[in-house]
Formats: sequence, structure tokens, C-alpha cells
Amino acid sequence: MEPVVLEGFDITIERGEVLRLLGQRPETGRDSGERLHEAVHEALSRVGALVSPKGIYTVTAGTELPGSSYFDELERVAFCVCTIGPAVEEEVTALSGRGELLRAVVLDSVGSVAAEATADYMDRRIQGEAAREGLKTSCRASPGYGDWEIREQGAIFELLPTGRIGVRLTPSFMMVPRKSVSFAVHIAKKPIRMRGENSCRNCDITDCPYRLLE
Amino acid sequence: MEAFLDNCAKAIVAGDGGGAERLAGEALGSGLSLLQVIEEGFVRGIREVGRLWEEGEIFLPELVMGAEAMKKAMTVLQPALEGSDEAQESLGRIVIGTIEGDIHDIGKTLVATMLSANGFEVTDLGTDVPVARFIDEAEARNADCIAISALLTTTMNGQKRVIDELVKRSMRDKVKVMVGGAPCNEAWAKEIDADGYAGDAVSAVALAKGLAGKA
Repeated sequence: MEPVVLEGFDITIERGEVLRLLGQRPETGRDSGERLHEAVHEALSRVGALVSPKGIYTVTAGTELPGSSYFDELERVAFCVCTIGPAVEEEVTALSGRGELLRAVVLDSVGSVAAEATADYMDRRIQGEAAREGLKTSCRASPGYGDWEIREQGAIFELLPTGRIGVRLTPSFMMVPRKSVSFAVHIAKKPIRMRGENSCRNCDITDCPYRLLE
Repeated sequence: MEAFLDNCAKAIVAGDGGGAERLAGEALGSGLSLLQVIEEGFVRGIREVGRLWEEGEIFLPELVMGAEAMKKAMTVLQPALEGSDEAQESLGRIVIGTIEGDIHDIGKTLVATMLSANGFEVTDLGTDVPVARFIDEAEARNADCIAISALLTTTMNGQKRVIDELVKRSMRDKVKVMVGGAPCNEAWAKEIDADGYAGDAVSAVALAKGLAGKA
């Protein structure tokens, strides 16, 4: 299929998720106090003007991922790249350059949550498309997580004209803007459980500060 | 005097940048030894912040607020100190940056800020720093240590290339190398013959002090 570009959609940035990235755990009483909450409030109130969510995806046979055999056994896979644009990270750099580290760290976390929310939106759209054909989608998998090599980021960028959403790849396979997400989902009647799927449950780093409590 | 120094330390621990700035301003016209105000006041505060972090009592936001408050106090005190006959003892000169190919910024900036807050002279080269530039800058500044951040498995090899290049230029025994970033660990530091690995900004300070023989 022709790649689909989506833009101009709204995302919801969950305050609780921002606080989790900043190490806060209200359920265990871990709270850094009023000034942090003010900084989060400030960042959330201005981030709307800084994010510009865009995404591009295509659905194809797993064998069509250029130079990769990772998905060869899967008949239909959606590959997606999405971004919130460069403005948040530019502002983070400006803030940290002025010594405003707290505001920088908080806005950076807000940007990360916004990028995930953008991926969630794209994921839901792909799910919706699949559902119309009576199909389901797997969890998201991303290059660099689990056993899917980060080098395969290059394959996704070969498949998708990501210039249309303003995302490029560095020679070290890092996406620019940084606040971008690439992922794949399997589409089938009974999708596989993706290797390296985004789940804290399967991770060995049990004392990770970002681990999602169950 | 004691109470004043306590307040300086408390302002840092509380991450109260405005308070730290005001106290630093008061110290200027007070006739107090600025060195004493820094060492027994503000630096005592930032050490306490590090201790609380290590013990899991505080989290990233408090650490950042403490470092930011320290920076505000030092911005007031540093120029006065330079114009006086008191000299703050430097723990050493460190050149820090994120390796070429990698544009992750904020973790490295936090490490640089904490090193500086604890008394190191820090030159932050930014992100995407070429191997040769780390070494050229270290040489030009007569640095004691190079700190290299890498956040990707595809860029961490650049840390090794800095060390290889130091060997090639016969500089390896003149400068220590510390590494950090998500994919790095102790085993990686050992493998590439770095002098140490630090997992966060507080342990980076402890490591740098150890390497400088100032632990």
C-alpha cells in the first residue's frame, strides 16, 4: 500500500506518566514537592504550542522490509515512524543552556510522553484499519528493544519516505528529531506475541526506576 | 556564622535557587571568607544532596533542583572569588561530552553540572563530539580527565576510539577516561580499558574524585 501520512491530530499528554518518568511514585509516597509540580504544570501548559504530531505508516508483507529477515514469517506487518517535531528538544537545549535544568528535565519528560502518545495514536489508527477487516494487531515492537537490532532502523527508513514528516536517521541509527518513535505491529487474525514487546514484565531490570508497577 | 553556613547548605538541599542566590549575595558584603561560605556552606549542601540520592531518599527532580541552586550561588560567588586573594581549590579539570553520532544531551549536562557543583573545572563540549576533539580539548586545557557519554549501542564504540586515539598520541597515562550512558557498564569500561564507569551524576562525582585522588 501507499504510505499513509497523518498529521494535525490531537494527543493527550498524561500528567501521571510525566511524573512517573520523573521518578515520582504517589502510591509509595515518593513525591519531590511543590516546585516540581509547578514545573510540570508550566511545561504541560506550554507544550501544546511546541508539539506538532505527525506519523507515517504502511502495511506490507514482512518479507518487504528491505535488507531484513526479522519479519519474514509474518504475512502482514505495519511499519510506522512518528514524531512530535523538533521544537520541544530545541527548547530543552535552550533551557539547559540557560542553567534552567529543572525546567529542561521536566520539558524533556513531557516531550517523551508526547512522543509515546503520538505512537499510541498511530497504533490505534492501525488497529482500527485492521479491525475493519476483522483482524487484530500485536503489541508494538521497536528496533533496539529486545532482540530486534537497532541497525534495522535503517530498513524502516528505507521503506518509508519519512522526509514527509520531517524525520531522518543519523549514520548511527538515531532518529532526528529525538522525540520520534518507530515501531512495527503484526496484523493477523491471531497476531503473534512480538519479541521484545514493550512490557516491563519481561524485563530483568527489576529495580528500574521507570518500571511500571502492576 | 555557623547558622549562616547551615542556611547555605539547607538552601542547596531544598533546591531553593532563589534562596541560594540571596545567601550568596549576602556573603559578598559580609566580610566572611567566600571560600568558607562555598566549602562549608554550599558545597556541604551539594554533598548532602549526593548522599540523599545514593540512599534513595531523593529522586532526579530534587537532584536537579540542588544542582541548579548550586549553580545560582556559584554564579554570584565566582566573580568575587576571582577578584579576591582567595582561591578555590580545584578538584581537577574535566572535559566532558556526548560522543560523535549521538545527540543525547540532558544526562551528560546533568553530570557536567554536578561535577562543576562539586568543585571540578568542567568544559562541556556538547553533543556529537568527534573523537579528535575530545583529545584536542583535553590537551589544550591540560585536563586530568575526559568523560564520555554514549546512549546508543551504535555509538558507544566511540568511547573506545577515544581511548585508542589517546594511546596512539602517547597521552593515555596523562589523562583518565570515564564513561557513562545507558548501554555502558563496568564490564564495558574494563573491556575498552577506561578508568571507570558511572551510572548517574552522583556516582560520576564519586568516580571523578577517586580518579583525582581526592575521594
